[in-house]
Amino acid sequence: MSTTRSKTGASGFDQLFSGKVEQDYRVKTGIVELDEMLRGGFMPGDAVMLAGSAGTGKTTLALQHLVNGVKHGEPGIYVTFEELPDQIYRDAKNFGWDLRKMEEEDKFRVLCTSPSLMLESGSDSLLDDILRDTQPRRLVIDSLSHLEMFVKRDDMRTEAYRIVRYLKTRGVSSLLLWESPQISGSSFSVTDVGLSFLVDCIVALKPVEIESSMRKALVILKMRGSDHDKRLREYEITSSGIKIESAFTNYEGIISGSPRKVASEKIMELFRGASEKPKKA
Amino acid sequence: MSGSEIMSTLLGSEIRGDILVLFHKNPGLIDTVDGVARRVGRTTIAVISDVRELLQLGVLKQKRIGSAEVVYLDRAKDREILESVANHLKTVRISGEK
Repeated sequence: MSTTRSKTGASGFDQLFSGKVEQDYRVKTGIVELDEMLRGGFMPGDAVMLAGSAGTGKTTLALQHLVNGVKHGEPGIYVTFEELPDQIYRDAKNFGWDLRKMEEEDKFRVLCTSPSLMLESGSDSLLDDILRDTQPRRLVIDSLSHLEMFVKRDDMRTEAYRIVRYLKTRGVSSLLLWESPQISGSSFSVTDVGLSFLVDCIVALKPVEIESSMRKALVILKMRGSDHDKRLREYEITSSGIKIESAFTNYEGIISGSPRKVASEKIMELFRGASEKPKKA
Repeated sequence: MSGSEIMSTLLGSEIRGDILVLFHKNPGLIDTVDGVARRVGRTTIAVISDVRELLQLGVLKQKRIGSAEVVYLDRAKDREILESVANHLKTVRISGEK
């Protein structure tokens, strides 16, 4: 008996009868430290929100995630509402990622379109053809925030839910970028339109001012069905992509926007200062 | 269509050239004619006939997404056309050298 293959390739039937039980499988970002924080990687098929303000490296992290996926045999799609692909190809090349070559090898696709077209619902979705042709395991939308320009505030959640469900039904792990002007305050929210509940995982990127210099912090705010690192980790955008460093262990109040040294560190500094004082003759 | 005919169609107007360059540089672009016009800094009325020409030539393809008609690059046809233009240019150069 033969089954009719869905238009998008990775149908529900494919997932049911693939014969593979991938219980321990994780979608690795390829950024070793981030994968450790995620206890191996994102959960397969999950919708992940990557939130942060401008210049925090959302696009870089998202591209790195896709490129590393391609290296491990997982095709990826990058949907952009903002930049034209030629700009993305150029920027990616600066990190050593040749996206054009990956496209030629049918392992990667950049889709540049308008958010209004993404929202058009009919028998044909904008993504149907590209999903069928590329058979991706990973997809990035840069960014979901752009939909806000085309839908009423009250409808935003419904539309985002539709997109998330569309991708989940096809077994695609998605990374949804979200422009958050500010992730701070004692009772902060990542989005002000209630999207945090729709996604399975939230990774927040935040610039922080410490001792008169701007540094960058990454934190996993939520991850359904898995343990994860709860610490704030410092990261840098290097010539080869995102590099995650140690945790901000000596500081508190980073998320609230007023970082200060923890008391124990202040005392330690006092001792250090005292021991370094030159002895009187 | 011969290489020279394709070339004269492609280079028939400045706007057509702009649209072609836009899609060449951004092969993953899918947009309405309005959107394409905005991206090349022109009005819809100014680009519509050139988009039609490129659709007829087969470089661009058209499909319906919900209530919108969108255009996008046919990568295979684009490669084919580029090859025939390149072959035509090679022939012209060789005959010029003789």
